[in-house]
This record gives sequence, structure tokens and C-alpha cells, in this order.
Amino acid sequence: MKDQIISTYIKQCLETGKVPSNVYAFAKVLDMEEKDFYTYFSSLEAVEMTIFQYWFQQVREQTEKSEIYAGYSAREKILAIYFAWIEALKGNRSFVKMLFDRKQDHFPMPKFPHFLKLLRHDFIEWANSITNEAIGSKEIEDRKFLSEKYKDGLWMNFFFVMNFWLKDDSPNFEKTDVAIEKSVNLAFDLMGKSPLDSLFDFGKFMFQNK
Amino acid sequence: MEQNSIPSSKVERAMRFVKTGAQIGGNYIKHYSKKMVDPSLSREELHEDNATDVYNALSELKGSALKVAQMLSMEKNILPRQYTNKFQMAQYNAPPLSGPLIIQTFIKSFGKAPQEIFEQFNMKACNAASIGQVHEAILNQKKIAIKIQYPGVAESIKSDLRMVKPIAFRLLDMNEKELEKYIKEVEGKLLEETDYELEYKRSIEISEACAHIPNLVFTKYYKEYTSKRVLTMDWMEGLHLDDYLKTNPSQEERNRIGQAMWDFYDIQVHELKSVHADPHPGNFLMQENGKLGVIDFGCVKEIPEDFYYNYFALLVNELLEEPGIVKKIMTQQEIINANDTKEVQQIITDAFLKMTKLLATPFVEPSFDFGNNEYIDKIYALGEEVSKMDELKKSKEGRGSQHALYINRTYFGLYSILNVLQAKVNTGERDWKTALFNYHKPQLSAVS
Repeated sequence: MKDQIISTYIKQCLETGKVPSNVYAFAKVLDMEEKDFYTYFSSLEAVEMTIFQYWFQQVREQTEKSEIYAGYSAREKILAIYFAWIEALKGNRSFVKMLFDRKQDHFPMPKFPHFLKLLRHDFIEWANSITNEAIGSKEIEDRKFLSEKYKDGLWMNFFFVMNFWLKDDSPNFEKTDVAIEKSVNLAFDLMGKSPLDSLFDFGKFMFQNK
Repeated sequence: MEQNSIPSSKVERAMRFVKTGAQIGGNYIKHYSKKMVDPSLSREELHEDNATDVYNALSELKGSALKVAQMLSMEKNILPRQYTNKFQMAQYNAPPLSGPLIIQTFIKSFGKAPQEIFEQFNMKACNAASIGQVHEAILNQKKIAIKIQYPGVAESIKSDLRMVKPIAFRLLDMNEKELEKYIKEVEGKLLEETDYELEYKRSIEISEACAHIPNLVFTKYYKEYTSKRVLTMDWMEGLHLDDYLKTNPSQEERNRIGQAMWDFYDIQVHELKSVHADPHPGNFLMQENGKLGVIDFGCVKEIPEDFYYNYFALLVNELLEEPGIVKKIMTQQEIINANDTKEVQQIITDAFLKMTKLLATPFVEPSFDFGNNEYIDKIYALGEEVSKMDELKKSKEGRGSQHALYINRTYFGLYSILNVLQAKVNTGERDWKTALFNYHKPQLSAVS
């Protein structure tokens, strides 16, 4: 039933060009009593949040089951998920665009849109496990205090990619591919061992032994 | 000047250009202030200053900007020959594609990952092609090569060209409209190279038309695994020119390969009127049995009919001796312009005929030994001489049709490969000479 509610919601948004005004109106479209709707979702926002969460789960399942994925480095795993994510969004671009465009009315402040709340939660959990893996394999550096922020950095990166894709007008979204490749490489280079680490280390040594 | 650091970001590349622009501007100021003190100072020195700065900037550039600058400067001989030679192998430079991006490209093109299509697919690229990378795979128990293009190459070419334009105006001292037609020509060709579907189509056309040439081998392409950014073909064995020469091939074998190459170009130019316009050593593979393999049909120049009949008419001796015809050809080829003075027209025509006669030498004799270094040196020397002619330098207009750009490059490349190969080739009597003669015959009888 949840699946059906989700697909009806997307369809309703696309066909009418706006989100249903309230649960009552939407339940009517579903041919359902309003109170029955609440057994599945507590609000219309909850439907939106679940859509993105659900897509992310699907993307992860599909990507992670492939044999090649298992052999990937952490950097490649992130790239693979990003590419698959954008590929999945492509089928629902109009819907995604509608929600992203709408956010301006509800959130005058530049904050993450509400409907990405569950996605953000799941993504950060996943990003945490990937960065831990990368630290373990020495792909990136373990830094005091900073390491805990890696996952949030990746979320910013992920959010940037989505926004880039929504504005991308190149054929086949080729520029988004470049944006993913370059931004993930940058993120990894920033998280990886850099001259700054050595500089910091040396500075600390000099401070202690002057 | 070593090409050790490659500025990669757009901003960085743009900065290089700005810097060069400033330097050239500076050279002009230096020139004019020196000239106030010493009026005898020639523009020669200025040109030299400019060429050196331009070269310094260019050698740090890679990619299409370099290729364009290189081709334009070859045309107007702004850079000394030694410099242009170094740029011969100019390549688009991009970081290799990550594994997931390779898969993504395949999914976008064919809806499947390469591992699902091929029995085996090596994720590690075995070679970097000019705008992509080459992977090895197995399909139906056969070794194949797959060329995958970097994303965004076409975009990058366009933005590179936007950067090179303002510099080129300054550099070549040519007016905007004139330069535009050359830039358009190069841009068109570079963008065509990014379309692998077009490359597939052309490789089929050309390889079918040239299938009968002895000792010439083409590879088989796979249409079902070809898209705008992926090109799949059978793996071709063979050695690149340098490595091939290290195996000390016999003179006979070298002649055989040289002959195949000559015939290949002869048929393309004169029969197909569409030619593989990028004869640099990387596009050919020499095989053990004295056969020549051709790869990469990215750069193909289609030769317009009336350009063909006028450009190549200069290879027919009978036509060359008739001033009326020569003048008509020179005008059609935009080598002389209506607003040139009579003297300038004459000087340029003479210089051009001299150059043409020299370049046409291989076509006149029944056979020609390209191993003759003296001949190649003579071409260089004469080119240098022509480039120093004041009549050409002062001209704000470009000389020569834009179509000549790639045709000249093709022959220049062909001659140098044959020279390196030290091959002796039968070049002599060919049917197309009659066709060219007949085309101009009506005018010939009219003048005489």
C-alpha cells in the first residue's frame, strides 16, 4: 500500500503541477478515508521524505550487489553510488525539480529542504561507514576532530551534485558526470594525506621543542 | 622549454592566456619605444619576441587550444618551424576516467555495464588516446579495443577556442573576419572528432573504398557497441613507426608500406574526395608481414568539388604553364586578392608557384624516394623563406582557402612519415591528372 501511495503522490504532483493541498484531498484521490491514510504516513511531508529515502535504499541495494562494487576502493564506491543516484533521479527529474523549486517558498533561509531529511540521515550513516573504511585502508587520513566531520562534508558534496544536476542543461547530463568525478576526487584529496598534515605535525614538534 | 607542468583548470589556462596577451602587448610597447630611439629597428625582432613568448605560453598548454594555435601559426608561419614540430603531437589532456565513470558511460550508451557485454573487460586503460582512453576486452573470444571518450570534451573545446581567439587576432595580425573562417574550420574538425558515431561511419566508408589497396589493413568496428562516446573495434596488432624502425626492416618492406600509404591517400583525395586528415605516426601500425594498419578516423576532411579542381590543378604541368589559368586558380584559392596591387600579386604568385613546384615534385616523377633528406630540407627552407616575405607578412588578410588548412597538413604529415620511413614510392602517372586537365580544358583553349 505504501508503494501505491508513493506512486500516486508522484503522479498527482506531475499531472496537476502542484503538490496536493492537504491529506484530505490526497486521500480522496487514493479513494481512501483520511484516517486510513495515517496508518501509513503521518503527513504529506512524510510521504515526500520517504520517497527519497526509498530511492536511496534501492540505489544502494542495486549498486552494492554487483561484483565489481565489492572490489572498488572507497573513492570508487562513492562515485558508483553518486552515478547510480543521479541515474535513478533521472526517471523522476520533473518531480524532483518541482520539489527543489518549491523549497524557496517554505525555506527562505538556505537550509536543506525538509523533504531530504530522511535521505540525509541515511546518507550520513552510509557515508560514515565508507569514510571509516577509507580510514582503515589509509585512503584518507584519520584526523582528530575532523574525521567526524568527513561524513557531513560528503553530504554537502552530495547535495551539491544534486543541485548541479538540476541546473545542468548539457545533453545527457554529461557535465554532471564531470562534476561528480571532479568533486569526489577533490573531496578525497582533501581528506587524504596532504602537506598541511606534515606542516601541522612539524609545527607541533617545533612548538614543543623550541 | 620543457612541458613539465600542465595547467589544468580553466581559470589557470585562462590566466596563461592573459599573461601571454600582456606579454605581447609589452613587446609592442618595447618595440615602439626602442624604435623611437632607433628607427631602423625592424618588425622582425618584434615577431621574434612574440613568437618566443607565445611558444612559452603554448608549451604549458595542452588540449584543443594548443592544437588550434598550432594550426593557425603553421598557416601563417608565425612560429619558427622548429617550434611547430614540437607541437605535432598536441593532445587533449584529461585525468583518466574512474572505474564507476566508465561503467556509467556504458550504461548511458548501451544500458549495460561493460562486464555484462563482454566476456572480459579490463578496467585499467591500456592507452590514452587524444580525447579518451583505450580499454582491452574480449568479445566472442576475440581481443577487441574500446575507446572511451572523456565527458565534456566538446564543451572544453568550445571554451578553449573562446580563449584562444583574442590572442590569435593579435598574434597573426589578421582581421577578425578573415581569421574567423580558419577558426571555424578547425573548430568544426575538432568537434567532429568528439563524435564517435561519425568516426564509425567514416571508417566504414573509407575502409570499404580502399579495401582493394594491397598491403593495407583496416580493423573491424562494432556498430552495436558504438555510441557518441564509445567506439568498439577489433584489436589491431602492429608496431608504431619508431618501434617498427628499430626492428631494421628491409628497404623492400619499407617501400611496400610506403606504397600502401601513398596509394591510400591518393584514392582518398582523388576518388573519395574525403581524406583521413591526421597522418601522424600514432594513427598507423606497421605489421610484421610488411602491411600497414590504419586506425583512428576521427579527423576526416571532406574536399569540396571546386576547391579540389583548383587546388590540385597545380599538380598538372600543362596547366601550370598557362598564366591565365594560374591567375584564376590563385584567385579561387584566395591566395591573391582583387585589392592587391599588380606587383604584390606577381610576387606572391611567383613565390607560390615555386613552392607548389617543389611540393609537387613527387607527383611529377614516376617514382620518388622520400628517404631523400635533401628534398625535405628544401621544403623547410623554402617555407621559411616564403614566411619571411614582407608581402605576405604585411597582409591583414589570410592567404589561402580555409579548406587548404587540413589538406596542407595532410600532405605535410604524409611526406614526413614517408621520409622517416625512408620509403621509395611509385607516384607517377595517375588517371586523376586527366580529369583535372579536362576540367580546365575549356579555359585553356579560350586563352590560347
